[in-house]
Amino acid sequence: MLKAMPRELLAHKGRLAMTLLAIALGVAATVASWVAADSVATSLAGTKTRGDVGVAVRAADASTTMSSSTAKRLRGLPGVQRVHEVVVGKAGLIGRDGKLVAATTVLDRAGTNWDDSGRFTLTDGRAPRGPGEIAIGRTEAGKSGLGVGDRTTVLLSDGRARDAVVSGLFDYVSLGPRSGDGADPVPAVAYDRESARALLGERLSRVELVVQSGVDPDAVVRAALGVGYVVSTGSELAAAAAAESDDTARELRETLLPLAAIALLVGMVVIANTFTMLVTQRTRQFALLRAIGAKRRQIRVAVVAEALVLGLVGGTIGTLIGIGLGPVLLAVMRPGDDLGYTVSPVAVLLGYAVAVVVTVVAASGAARRAALVPPMAALRADAVVPKDVLVRRSALGSGLVVAAVVAVVATAGPSEDNLTRIIGLLSALVGAAGVLLLAPALAVLLFRPLLGLARRHGGSAVRLGVRNAARDPRRTAGTATAITVGLGLICAFGLLSATFATLIASTTRANVPAGTTVLQPAAGGASVLSPSELDKVRATPGVSRAAASRDKIVPISYPGGRTERKISAIEPDALGTVLTPTLTAGVADLRRGVVISQNQADMLGLGLGAPITLVPDPRTPINTTIVGIYEATELGASIFYDVALAPAPLRDQLTIIYASGPTARTALGEGFAQRPDVTVTDREGLVAQGIEAQRLAFALLYAMFGVAIVIAVFGVVNTLALSVMERTREIGVLRAIGASRALVKRTIRVESIVISLFGALLGVTLGLAVGAVMQHAMFGQHLWDITVPIGVILTSLTGIVVAAVVAALWPAAKAAKTDVLAAIG
Amino acid sequence: MTTTTAAIRATGLSKVYGSGAARVIALDGIEVRVRRGAFTAIMGPSGSGKSTLLHCLAGLDAPTGGTIWVGDTKITGLSDDELTDLRRDRIGFVFQAFNLVPTLTAAENITLPLDLAGRRPDPQLLDRVVGALGLGHRLDHRPSQLSGGQQQRVACARALITGPDVVFADEPTGALDSRTSRELLGFLRDSVDEAGQTVVMVTHDPVAAVYADRVLLLADGRIVDEVQAPTAETVLDRLKSLERAGA
Repeated sequence: MLKAMPRELLAHKGRLAMTLLAIALGVAATVASWVAADSVATSLAGTKTRGDVGVAVRAADASTTMSSSTAKRLRGLPGVQRVHEVVVGKAGLIGRDGKLVAATTVLDRAGTNWDDSGRFTLTDGRAPRGPGEIAIGRTEAGKSGLGVGDRTTVLLSDGRARDAVVSGLFDYVSLGPRSGDGADPVPAVAYDRESARALLGERLSRVELVVQSGVDPDAVVRAALGVGYVVSTGSELAAAAAAESDDTARELRETLLPLAAIALLVGMVVIANTFTMLVTQRTRQFALLRAIGAKRRQIRVAVVAEALVLGLVGGTIGTLIGIGLGPVLLAVMRPGDDLGYTVSPVAVLLGYAVAVVVTVVAASGAARRAALVPPMAALRADAVVPKDVLVRRSALGSGLVVAAVVAVVATAGPSEDNLTRIIGLLSALVGAAGVLLLAPALAVLLFRPLLGLARRHGGSAVRLGVRNAARDPRRTAGTATAITVGLGLICAFGLLSATFATLIASTTRANVPAGTTVLQPAAGGASVLSPSELDKVRATPGVSRAAASRDKIVPISYPGGRTERKISAIEPDALGTVLTPTLTAGVADLRRGVVISQNQADMLGLGLGAPITLVPDPRTPINTTIVGIYEATELGASIFYDVALAPAPLRDQLTIIYASGPTARTALGEGFAQRPDVTVTDREGLVAQGIEAQRLAFALLYAMFGVAIVIAVFGVVNTLALSVMERTREIGVLRAIGASRALVKRTIRVESIVISLFGALLGVTLGLAVGAVMQHAMFGQHLWDITVPIGVILTSLTGIVVAAVVAALWPAAKAAKTDVLAAIG
Repeated sequence: MTTTTAAIRATGLSKVYGSGAARVIALDGIEVRVRRGAFTAIMGPSGSGKSTLLHCLAGLDAPTGGTIWVGDTKITGLSDDELTDLRRDRIGFVFQAFNLVPTLTAAENITLPLDLAGRRPDPQLLDRVVGALGLGHRLDHRPSQLSGGQQQRVACARALITGPDVVFADEPTGALDSRTSRELLGFLRDSVDEAGQTVVMVTHDPVAAVYADRVLLLADGRIVDEVQAPTAETVLDRLKSLERAGA
């Protein structure tokens, strides 16, 4: 409709490119997240499911065991065509480097028996024969560098190890879900049937049957075996597997999309600000159009149409970048997984939808302002600044900040329950929004004294640069807040991470004496150690005392209600010897009841003598009372109980073994030297491990916030470029009366640094404040019990200054090139 | 509607800026009547309110008090959209600073008001206007490729293309040299004489005022004098006496 608008856009390629990039980056983050989640989902869903199995039979619980004789009873039944037994046991594959190969499945379930049921597809070599041969998964082969014909070692249960030659490689097709009850985990190692029974154990994980059509498998199994067995049909298991992969994809999406939303939010701030500037710059043109007969609606529609076009183009670029970045994200999120790469139409549509909606919403304020330009503005030089909006905005901002501070203080108690903490956290976010609204007012407050300072002490470049930044506080604040959001997030999570690290260290140090030696499964994750390791530790000379904790998240009920907590079964004599929790009340005697951490007791409203029921197994709930309260944080298990009360299977799943004795550390180090599946360390090792693990968890967050910062920097470039264009005349006059090109460049650089640092400092302050509330909400500490991430802050601030200088390069060069005669002519 | 109806009529027109100590009375009870097919010039010292009067008459600025008619339409009290339509269809503008859209060609600038209305230009009218202004070979040029005189002629063509009731010109020769000024004024004169166009022009240049049929002299927001069939001398004399009175 209005031909002038698209032409106007094309006439300024630089600012067009910057705006497009801001849109594109936000969109790219969203699309990449979606594509990554999609790929995981389709790869999992696309995993071949087995159609050859009628039913799978497994024991309903630990009280029933299945062995070859169970299978034998099924084999002869009428209607049963084929029976396959499946053994699952511990098997740790040692790679060429002598280290344990990280397998998809936990160590204790990574070994199985080879059969021709269709579970295995041989990709190289042949099936294993005899105890000296194994077939290994193709994924594990890739990770370990092992191939057909290579000799290696397999770690078995009870500390045994057997050498074996790799006879073949396989791909595995799971029957049903890969994790949870009745799962069919992907094995890393397969022996032939006889060797598997000898090395992995007689016990069967499940029996697979193929039955004639028309035969009710449930009835067949019940008739042959009686009760105590779970019978699942192939189609049930396939459905469960599909549900599992959907869950995995959803979880991944739920992790990634909020992060992408942050990038979008920052993008939106930048786009909104850019549009506001584009409109302000064209005030005269809009006024002219209004004077010669354009209606308000026409101007508004034109600006929105411009946003629409930019959104579509930016969306295209962003979607393409996002599709390109998807595999990178996948590699970071799920390293080692062999995943197909899927780009669904939904991902592309999402990219465009997000681009268009975000851009149009961001531009709508600017469009409204553009339409309000009075025609008279075409004939006058002075622009109209709507002052009342700023006043309203500041009033709203102050209100939010005050309300937030009150709410945060009111919910700051360290023993508040979850709901109160969430209210505190939300209040902090509301407060942060308030501060962003206040940003222009803060800019005015801050720049006034800064301007005075620059006038008295600064050189001419500093003076001019600061004055330029202070000239339009609304615009400066708009540009700066994009940086504020990004840096605020980095600082908030940096503080959370640092506080968490301190907490890990202090909790570990408080509860584990320096002389205690710690043994853990090397495979990490859900892997566990077995009682044989504990026996070996106890038998090691130089070890005087040893105990093991068995951690599990289980339902608990207490007078105030029911919930889930990680509880830890441990030998009663461990407390006070290998573990030394500091008691604040009661005694550390697990024979008489449970010992609970102070903040858990506070949260659940429990005191000494209070009854509590732990339910590690629904059939054997443990009714007990609290006999001791110790000082600790919400890390690790916070309820200790007597191992004698734990259900039998749990007793054999050791999370950590603690040992002490005069020469325990050295003796155990030597004793387990040949056991790559067990890590021997001590208190400081435990501390370092914990800190490293949480650092990794925060790495992805930092990366996504980094994207937000990059978008924000584009905003700075945009602002500077536009302000240079606006001031062509002024810069021309400066040059005419003797300002050198270098001075002009320096001025722009100073302006860039002032704007960026304003945003950065606001971000750091805001981030630390919100971070303090976050750590309170998550760890239940006092607001001031924080560790300030000085390294992160210094790195960010340095980074911002560098980014500011870089952002100023192009606008500064443009300003320096200003043609004096053309500018003032 | 008869030919005796005034093209523009205003009674009791006042415009006040600010309030309290900062209160400025720009127009103070103006009574004015502009005949159809006449060329009227408005003159006066700086701050006399001549530009404000023009803006109010043209529906660009809202007066504080009084009533304005464009033809039979009472424009005071119209909504913004109605005023916009009026400006687009029945009023043409020529500004001192040309005010062309830099990214559009001369031809596109000329037809912009029609674009806004969603109408196609009348090719005969376009040819006539473009021909009269001597812009035929410049139609594909951008404003930056045109001289000041050419730009102002494009602005004139834009003002005339809708066949407006009135063309308002605000210091149209302010940025032009004397030769291009004469050409432009001559063109405006011709459009009055040959096409019966009504033109109202604000100027401070007595030589420009000579092209008008009638000169209204403003001082302190009031019409204080009027010169029919002006010559440079009579206009200059009246202006001088005005300034003496003001001093």
